[in-house]
Amino acid sequence: MTDTTLAARPPDELIIPKKSLWDRVRKTAPYAYVSPFFVIFSIFGAFPILYTFWIAMHDWNPIGEKEFTGLENFSNLITDPRFWNATKNTFSIWFISTIPQLILALLLATLLNRQLLKMKTGFRMIVLSPQVTSVLAVGIIFTQLYGRDYGLINTFVVEPITGDRIDYGVGTWSSHIAVSTMVMWRWTGYNSLIYLSAMQAIPRSLYECASIDGASPFRQFVHVTIPQLRSTIIFTVIVSTIGGMQIFAEPLVFSGIGGAQGGNRRQFQTLTMFLYEQGFERFKFGYASAIAWALFLLIVTFAMLNYLVTRRISQDAS
Amino acid sequence: MTAAVEISDVTKRFGDVVAVDNIDLTIADGEFFAMLGPSGCGKTTTLRMIAGLDFPTEGSLKIFGDEVGTLPPNKRPVNTVFQNYALFPHMSVLDNVSFGLRMQKVDKATAAARAKESIELVQLGGYEKRRPNQLSGGQQQRVALARALVNEPKVLLLDEPLGALDLKLRQEMQGELKSLQRDLGVSFVFVTHDQEEALTMSDRIAVMNEGKLLQVGSPEEIYERPANRFVADFIGQTNLIEGTVADETTIVLTNGARVAAPSDHAAGTAVALSLRPERATLTPAGAVEAADGRTSVDGVIAGVTYLGNALVYDVALDWMTIEVREENRPAGDRPSPGDRVAVSWTTSDASVVV
Repeated sequence: MTDTTLAARPPDELIIPKKSLWDRVRKTAPYAYVSPFFVIFSIFGAFPILYTFWIAMHDWNPIGEKEFTGLENFSNLITDPRFWNATKNTFSIWFISTIPQLILALLLATLLNRQLLKMKTGFRMIVLSPQVTSVLAVGIIFTQLYGRDYGLINTFVVEPITGDRIDYGVGTWSSHIAVSTMVMWRWTGYNSLIYLSAMQAIPRSLYECASIDGASPFRQFVHVTIPQLRSTIIFTVIVSTIGGMQIFAEPLVFSGIGGAQGGNRRQFQTLTMFLYEQGFERFKFGYASAIAWALFLLIVTFAMLNYLVTRRISQDAS
Repeated sequence: MTAAVEISDVTKRFGDVVAVDNIDLTIADGEFFAMLGPSGCGKTTTLRMIAGLDFPTEGSLKIFGDEVGTLPPNKRPVNTVFQNYALFPHMSVLDNVSFGLRMQKVDKATAAARAKESIELVQLGGYEKRRPNQLSGGQQQRVALARALVNEPKVLLLDEPLGALDLKLRQEMQGELKSLQRDLGVSFVFVTHDQEEALTMSDRIAVMNEGKLLQVGSPEEIYERPANRFVADFIGQTNLIEGTVADETTIVLTNGARVAAPSDHAAGTAVALSLRPERATLTPAGAVEAADGRTSVDGVIAGVTYLGNALVYDVALDWMTIEVREENRPAGDRPSPGDRVAVSWTTSDASVVV
């Protein structure tokens, strides 16, 4: 069919549109090549962020009415003590889990990097195994370990030492520690492998040179390893921050039947749990979206702050 | 006088691999000593054992009379300049140079003052605040040198220190290293695979191959009287003319010619006559008279390579081809391919190697 139409035209007309079509293809092709990222990011990144903001400006029940309320959700949020409580809990759990986690990961990586270590690959795999364990399994097992009546930690550690049992879920600090250990268990190995790969890229001659100058292994660690790992440390701190601000599954499982409230006094309710509670348990989607936006801004600000602080610290170390 | 470094019967094995095979070596105080050999010959391992970065499997290693066998690097009166400089990229030049002093708990002001002195010594004054990545290769090399010298070692070890520099800079640094060594009066032990570098800089050279020490001597000894085929071939260019020892003054070449060549090898030993291309003389065939005391073989010019200041002739003998190098001369005066020529030399021009 096309053939007949084409044949009907005089030859010069045939050539010109063909050329301009090719030109148009040539001009647009580069955009097509780079477009997949932008298309996918717009659909799954930019659109949800913006649409969430739109939802946040409504009193929005998915099965009921929605009403435009402007910034009311936001003004309610900053006066809501539950929001500040969740923010405080989130930071507390992030702090207790991330700082020891990264220090531990650094030490673990140093051990794994030892020349004398046997079965290197085996150890590296073991270190990564918590990563591939289901978060739910981790949460359930740790919750049992921390159990008040039959928990192994109470039976074999706490009671023999203090003569008393701790109800981890009840206290603020005890619950934060319990949740933090789950996070640490899961992420320490992952971070240590990142450090390990960076350590292996440090030239051996730097250490030899330092040892010729009389630097002890500890001082080699401080003066060579840490400064050389600077950018890697910044990377892990930022990634852990972004992850830590969104901590959800571990405290949710730990809280058991209480669900997203995070303990009867909300003593370990994190921001994401608060968001989930408002959105999917109370169906206040507008308010939940406002929480999501607050969390978004918090993560951006905090990650940037972390970047500046970490950069300063590692510069001082050198 | 005690030797700076005394290595006796030292062997170093890595698993089944023998990196250094039972070597004996003495390096005098204040000497510029080169260890020369192809990659993997054991020269760097030997250096690392002196430095204390590797320890001998067997044997004794003394520095200024003290056994240092397994002493850590910082407890030895030596310091090392690495091939890739091993500067700390996150530290300034001053911090790099004063690092060793600070590790020895020298107070900050003294450390900085001594580091500055050392930086001046390598002519990098004014660069104290720079980072290594803001310096050129040659400047980084100088920082590495300053960092080693600031600790006032009695023996300075240099592992292919000029390997990463371009030719011109390398030649410049060769001269500077030599004069620095003379001024400081400490021993420099210099590892290199560049035979020309070893010849121009060193007081003495040790030639190594496959973990074994083949010959130790002054550049002239090594070049003029190589101990064996490997040394003859590795140091400079040479022609190895195969033959058999007839008696202490004569060897019989493969073609049956008897040539005068004194050696102390037993009659019947397979040997080679090492004849440097520049020591052989070309003359038109039949012009050499035996009365001159010269040995002569006939051949045909097979090819000429033009090197600018010199010409290299490939001369085809009946049973092999040898190279003869001569100073350049006007085009009309040169033998050309196909010409019959005689290649001649005196007994002192050639040496017998096994």
